[in-house]
Amino acid sequence: MSEFLKILENEVQIAALVFLALVYAGRLVWLFRFKNRKDRTFAAGSGGAGAGYSLMNIAMPGAMESTRKRPGFYAQFVIFHAGVAAAIAGTFIIPYAPGVFEVKGIVLLFQAVIAAAFVVGLLRLVRRLTDPVLREVSSPDDYFSLVLLIVWFAAGALAVPNRPEKGEWPLILYFGLTAFFLAYVPFSKICHYLYYPFTRFYLGRSLGHRGALPPSPGKRATAGTAKERA
Amino acid sequence: MKRRKAGPSGVVEAPLDVRTQALAKEEERPSVKDGRLRTYEPGDNAARFLDLLGRRVSRSLAVSLTACVHCGLCAESCHYFLARPDDPTMTPVWKADQIRKIFKRHVDWTGRIAPWWVKAGTVRNDEDLNRLKNIVFGTCSACRRCTYNCPMGVDTGLLVRFTRGLLTELGIVPEGVFNVSRDQWETGNQMAVTEQDYLETLEWMRDEVRTELGTNAVDIPVDKKGCDVLYTINPREIKFDPRSIAHAAKIFHVAGESWTLPKWGWDQTNFGLFSGDDKLGAYVARNVYEAAERLRVKRIVISECGHGYRSTRWEGYTWAGYDQKLPTESVVVTLKRYLETGRIAVEPSRNAVAVTFHDSCNIARSGDLVEEPRDVLRRVCADFREMFPNRRENFCCTGGGGLLSMAEYRPLRLEVAKIKADQLRATGAMLVCTMCHNCIDGLADVIKHYRLPMRVVQVMELVSNALVVPAESVK
Repeated sequence: MSEFLKILENEVQIAALVFLALVYAGRLVWLFRFKNRKDRTFAAGSGGAGAGYSLMNIAMPGAMESTRKRPGFYAQFVIFHAGVAAAIAGTFIIPYAPGVFEVKGIVLLFQAVIAAAFVVGLLRLVRRLTDPVLREVSSPDDYFSLVLLIVWFAAGALAVPNRPEKGEWPLILYFGLTAFFLAYVPFSKICHYLYYPFTRFYLGRSLGHRGALPPSPGKRATAGTAKERA
Repeated sequence: MKRRKAGPSGVVEAPLDVRTQALAKEEERPSVKDGRLRTYEPGDNAARFLDLLGRRVSRSLAVSLTACVHCGLCAESCHYFLARPDDPTMTPVWKADQIRKIFKRHVDWTGRIAPWWVKAGTVRNDEDLNRLKNIVFGTCSACRRCTYNCPMGVDTGLLVRFTRGLLTELGIVPEGVFNVSRDQWETGNQMAVTEQDYLETLEWMRDEVRTELGTNAVDIPVDKKGCDVLYTINPREIKFDPRSIAHAAKIFHVAGESWTLPKWGWDQTNFGLFSGDDKLGAYVARNVYEAAERLRVKRIVISECGHGYRSTRWEGYTWAGYDQKLPTESVVVTLKRYLETGRIAVEPSRNAVAVTFHDSCNIARSGDLVEEPRDVLRRVCADFREMFPNRRENFCCTGGGGLLSMAEYRPLRLEVAKIKADQLRATGAMLVCTMCHNCIDGLADVIKHYRLPMRVVQVMELVSNALVVPAESVK
């Protein structure tokens, strides 16, 4: 392995991670400078239970009409984010636990997950380019972030076998993009995962306090059978 | 901001009409004179808007402004977009983005550093602010259906209300919003009902119930101290539909309830919810809470009203900075308790025709009541049937968010009401019941416009129809 790749896999990644952590910390300080309103009403439910339910919404495709009616979209979401998790894991496994990728089955599993995410990324890009609603609201950052991820998935799928002796360029591309990502993410839409717990928490706590979340079995909305709807 | 017409009705380009504001200034109306109600003054409103934006954003709003990933999943939850699927400006994400881009440009660092990269924008003049007014008042009923369908938990309904509040502070509002706000500031109720009208209508209804039941024991007490229940109503009940007060009096009498209405602080509706004006919201809600304290009642009961329930039960305490001291409930919850405990008996065969139920957005999505009205209706109706989707997934009556008071947006409102009309028609019911006065008018408009063979009723009316009046109640 070249000295350049070694530094890229280690020092550069650590420096980029530190940068990410610092910017995130600044972001959180910024967020907490906004005042939070105190609820002065008697509770009809539990704010904690509502917040918990709201946070777990991500794992409940049936909870929202928007995902319930579009199981394919939810599946894409799962695959895409599983790919992100696998690709991130790869950036730690390669420099710090390279033995893991000596097992062929694990490498194939990672490649399959990341490649599937790559395909989903392409589908998402097509959707963003062709759907008039998404085109209308999308910013350059929306497109750039998605393209960046697609390229990163491609690099990740090629890099996880971790064979620098057969050519270092997939690894250089993968780690180079990762370092860029870590620096760029806090300024882009990709940092939505930082906000997700907050939006979900505040919404869930408020609606949970009112007893609207989590919906008790009797309070679940019914879409009706085809016969009923007819 | 990009100029765009929202389809044939051109809602987004509707001009700012300030004739009644000018009249209010000319007449030196007290709410205008003492600055409680802001009027439009041409000038540097964009700068004032940006200043207010920076100062008023709360944490829950800030996260909703930053977290959107533009996935577009909210689009199909909105009745505006479902009725106009070819118009991206009808989607919740586009509407929310109109305030989000300003927030990004002036408050959030990403938009400050590279505005074009994140599509941040600004408002430059009153024309831009007027366009924003038409978007947040005219193309959204703030029903929060999209909020429940956002994977990120972005509360677009809250963003719309927040933006309305900023514009209200500048007097850049639809005429109807100004008029109703003025009335509520000046008379304590949003229909400018005078005290004399109020008291005479109550007496009239008392006499009606006395005649119906054949007893003078029935009363509609006003300002009676130490009762169990303080009953608060919607001014629409005084002005257009006093029968609902008669139904309440009849049921309370049969249930042996100790109740009163207050002479002041009886309006449980709150236009501050629609205009985004927390100060008005606080003033109106505090009137009710203080009436309850003054009369030393044990409970506040809110007549059937969606936004009134949400405002008085939930938002009002926060707006007013007033810690809740008394149980505050919808009269439907009271009715449910009467039925469960046997304080009243009913004969469901008296409501023989098919009845369906429309969930009010402010009660089902922003409140806690979805099963309670159903429990009551199943007891008092012979043929209760659901509409689909229902409960928290129900569609808005299309008159929510104060839209009934904004005549300039009526054509678009009725156009997008097609979704509601289809939903109503599919039930085959002859009566659509709702526990909201706003929904009554909204649904009545839909029924008339789409020529549906049904009419709107409230829970109280059906309970009153089915009520078995025992002999001891008419002595």
